[in-house]
Amino acid sequence: MTALPTEVSVLVNGTSHRRAVEPRLLLSDFLRHDLGLTGTHVGCEHGVCGACTVLMDGEAVRSCLVFAVQADGREVATVEGLAPRDGALHPLQEAFRDAHGLQCGFCTPGFLMTLVPFLAENPDPDEHTIREAISGNLCRCTGYANIVHAVRLAADRAAGRAEVPMSTGETIDPVEAPEAAALEAR
Amino acid sequence: MIVDGEYTFPAPRQTVWTLLQDPDVLVKAMPGAKHLTSTGDGAYEGVIRIGVGPVTAAEWSLTVLLSDRTPPESYTMQVDSKGTLGFTRGNAKVELLDEAGSTRMRYRADLQVGGKVAGVGQRLLDQVAKMMTKQGLEALSREMKTRLAEDQEAAPA
Amino acid sequence: MSRRYVGEWVTRNEDQRLLTGHALFVDDVRLEGMLHVAFVRSDHAHAVLRGVDASAARARPGVVAVYTAEDLGDYWQPGPLLVPPPPIDGIVFNLATQVPLAKDRLRHVGEPIAMVVAESRYLAEDALADVVVDAEPLEPVTDLERALEPDAPVIHPQLGTNLAAHVVQRHGDYEEAKSRADLVLSRRFHYDRGASAAIENRAVAARWDGQAQELTIWDTTQAPIPIRNGLAGMLGLMQSQVRVVAPFVGGGFGPKIMMFYPEEVLVPWAAMRLGRPVKWTEDRQENFFATTQERGQVHDAEIALSRDGRILGVRDSFLHDTGAYDPYGLTVPINSQCTLLGPYDVPAYDAEFRAVFTNRTTVTPVRGAGRQHGVFVMERLLDFAARELGMDAAEIRRVNYLVQDDFPHDHKILFQDFQPLVYDSGNYRPALEKALELIRWEGFPEEKRRAREEGRRLGVGVVSYVEGTGIGPYEGARVTIEPSGRVRVATGLGTQGQGHYTAFAQIVAEALDVDVARVGVVTGDTREFNWGTGTFASRGAVVAGSACHAAAQAVRAKVLGVAARVLNVPEGEVELWDGHARVRAEPQRSLPYGELAMRANPLRGGVSPGTEPGLEATAYFGPDRGSTASGVHAVVVEVDAETAMAKFLRYVVVHDCGKLINPVLVEGQVQGGVAHGIGNAFFEKLHYDESGQLQNASFMDYLLPTALDVPEVSMAHRETPAPMNPLGLKGVGEAGCIPTGAAFAQAVEDALSDLSIEIREIPLSPNRLFELLREAPAPSSQGTAP
Repeated sequence: MTALPTEVSVLVNGTSHRRAVEPRLLLSDFLRHDLGLTGTHVGCEHGVCGACTVLMDGEAVRSCLVFAVQADGREVATVEGLAPRDGALHPLQEAFRDAHGLQCGFCTPGFLMTLVPFLAENPDPDEHTIREAISGNLCRCTGYANIVHAVRLAADRAAGRAEVPMSTGETIDPVEAPEAAALEAR
Repeated sequence: MIVDGEYTFPAPRQTVWTLLQDPDVLVKAMPGAKHLTSTGDGAYEGVIRIGVGPVTAAEWSLTVLLSDRTPPESYTMQVDSKGTLGFTRGNAKVELLDEAGSTRMRYRADLQVGGKVAGVGQRLLDQVAKMMTKQGLEALSREMKTRLAEDQEAAPA
Repeated sequence: MSRRYVGEWVTRNEDQRLLTGHALFVDDVRLEGMLHVAFVRSDHAHAVLRGVDASAARARPGVVAVYTAEDLGDYWQPGPLLVPPPPIDGIVFNLATQVPLAKDRLRHVGEPIAMVVAESRYLAEDALADVVVDAEPLEPVTDLERALEPDAPVIHPQLGTNLAAHVVQRHGDYEEAKSRADLVLSRRFHYDRGASAAIENRAVAARWDGQAQELTIWDTTQAPIPIRNGLAGMLGLMQSQVRVVAPFVGGGFGPKIMMFYPEEVLVPWAAMRLGRPVKWTEDRQENFFATTQERGQVHDAEIALSRDGRILGVRDSFLHDTGAYDPYGLTVPINSQCTLLGPYDVPAYDAEFRAVFTNRTTVTPVRGAGRQHGVFVMERLLDFAARELGMDAAEIRRVNYLVQDDFPHDHKILFQDFQPLVYDSGNYRPALEKALELIRWEGFPEEKRRAREEGRRLGVGVVSYVEGTGIGPYEGARVTIEPSGRVRVATGLGTQGQGHYTAFAQIVAEALDVDVARVGVVTGDTREFNWGTGTFASRGAVVAGSACHAAAQAVRAKVLGVAARVLNVPEGEVELWDGHARVRAEPQRSLPYGELAMRANPLRGGVSPGTEPGLEATAYFGPDRGSTASGVHAVVVEVDAETAMAKFLRYVVVHDCGKLINPVLVEGQVQGGVAHGIGNAFFEKLHYDESGQLQNASFMDYLLPTALDVPEVSMAHRETPAPMNPLGLKGVGEAGCIPTGAAFAQAVEDALSDLSIEIREIPLSPNRLFELLREAPAPSSQGTAP
């Protein structure tokens, strides 16, 4: 079942990698296990969840549906390459943090890599367009609302528009925590 | 899953009956079956290639058992296949009705699929089963025509 | 006045690592010489396992080992009972726990039969084809009622029955209540299975260091410390020789609290035996077959009411599908039984359930953990009663709420934590009124009428729930101020995205008056903290948060003491301000925490008798019982009667989880929970056929809600402080998904009010709703106006 390794040369986040790979090796496994770029996550191995999304020649692809040999001679971008430098964040990453657009963070790299080319093409997307753009990425934690907010926030910041501040629901007659003394008195 | 229906073969009932016991004919009635050999008393063993939807075609082991045989009227056919992606179990009741030189086959099969193939191919299984049945019966019919023609050539009297 | 962090939105400390792809998840663990595992799993729901021939697989190049049950020797043991049954009079509990590899029976599709260890996962999967399994199928047990018939095939022959448990709990005299009732309604309800579907599948990696005699295990568990303790015992090691790390975990939702899964037990064993690191990562299909699931119950319920809609009593008898094994005891059905009572005054309750073994994947808690079944039954009964009595759906709830004077309220039955089901505090009516306002309840009939004129069918639903949260036994935390001035917090919990790194940091930052970003939290590493239970039952923030608070208070006292000594003033004159201790009257006399930490750990001189070196403290918190969170969900749906498609137009949650630590994190939990609940209500159902085969074991066929399906939830909070812990906290992790199905059912019925259908099952699906519509009687002669 195994076939002879094939030589591939892939430019990943600006660094050139040359490796001998089995033809059946998935791009997702190549990135994660051969190159150690484990920021690309695998959630379903059948192209539905979108967690493994990377850019190939600037276009979002599901790396679990691409063989490493298909990336030969191409340019691949992963989440590790988004931030301009260590300790800094890409504006979209900043927006995700500021809008609480992630919880467990497992699906997040896939969302980011889906949204980078989307925002480049749609600098001022409305809510429905954003929702359509991410409808091929599954998130079990957030319920999507804050991801939509994050995308809006990133778009607004990029265009220098007024940001909609992070708002929370009203608290009806808020209370102070009971004092420890009162607690002990019970 | 139940697959049932009728099919008319352009051959007399005894001929159809005989052919249906022949592993070389049976193998043609099962699309994907690669070979089938008789192991005696209505039992056969072989290999079949099965692929459904996202499940890649792979070679599965195949056993066929013909029982309750009432020549040339009816029999029960138990077909089991097994591979890395799961298994199939089929139990078919087959009746042959004599119709003036041709033979009408009435079949009713209860098909069970298990394991991975059941988990991912379910949307397609129904259609695949019906398609495979149709292909199989047509292949059987072609084979019968060929055999009949050969017989006629072989017996010019 | 120190700065406030508790109650504020601060961005999360963990996000930098997660957003840049540098957070460690278990499958990211790469070790020199690491081997990879794939499992041969059962294709049969029920079969006799006659033999396993692994010889061809062992001979395949690249395969290092293949293990079957026989190869495990004495290590082959059924798993432990994780949660013993509560001490309820007359309880029947039959135990049968999962085994590492099937020995002579196969009890569900996906049960592991053999473990292949190879140089790569690809090679390990290749070798699966070489393992020959000889299995003789048996009649599968899949129907809950059929399972208990005397001639049903028995899944665990040693038990002689498929009955896993029988529990009766009662308070009041239901028969007497019924005899006084003006209205008695009885119905049968079905709640079916869904998947937890965390986007990260399970994974385990292990490395045995023979020189140090230490075993390190990376595990996607919600409970690293109990896993450490259990595996040390099984492997004959001291607990201190085993380190379990649950690093970043990509969503838990319950099944990752299930402990001693076969793979979890086998991978460390293989790593020790082979002397090489070993890793197994579940694939999505395995997740559908082998990760625990939840939700199958059939309820026969009856409610007795007076003419004015007051509940006189409820009787409920249900069957609970526990799957092939019952290692998690009765947590799920007990939750169903208790949560059914909701926020209501129910003077008489007659409750009974039978847990039943079936040839399906094992059942353990999934977000909600049985609570949604109880809520669904009670809320549906109230809806049907309101319809009979000509009452408004909100009004029938209003008249039955417990009122403030009723707290603490004792329901006189036992809860999952073995404590009496006592509600600590609550105030339900204001939440209802707020929800009605936000969903625009009053104007809804007019909105519905106008939509109908345009040919659109709208419906509204409003439901209530309570959720027992924050149960014991305990959690602990250690807070340390380091010489850098940074603060380190360690707890024994695992974390799966809830924001513990931030919420705990907020609690500690507030107690010590230090910037949240300077508080580093470590969770899920047994080397960092030695004691604890785990993340479940919406308890992390409540129990571990309270421990963090207690430890931080102790460190605060140490800071004040050391500062008073160094600054040579009485302690009462020292105040803490932005990472410094200073003299209140002379704020220029100020010392940073880092320096105080060094002064507290001197290299020369003495540490005063009775004091400890360093600015560090460890504290534990164990509540007597849990705290009762509560809330109201309201929803507006649009239903297309032709296609049977339903769309969520508006969704409102008003909930009360006590004092909020971080409102944005809380709202994130609720919004995500609602999405999960919407999935459970209308999109997600595990379809098993009658032979126990799961038919939709992929995300192509098992549909998780997408961004196009989940509306943004409008939220409001009530803060009824919990009296059981110092911060007044209640849990919130499961609140979003508990009453969603009930709210959805009410709204769909309302949208189809002219067709008089009754929804008594969840999950619904467009297909199933279509069938219900087809079976519905023709619209009444009054026409279609609502």
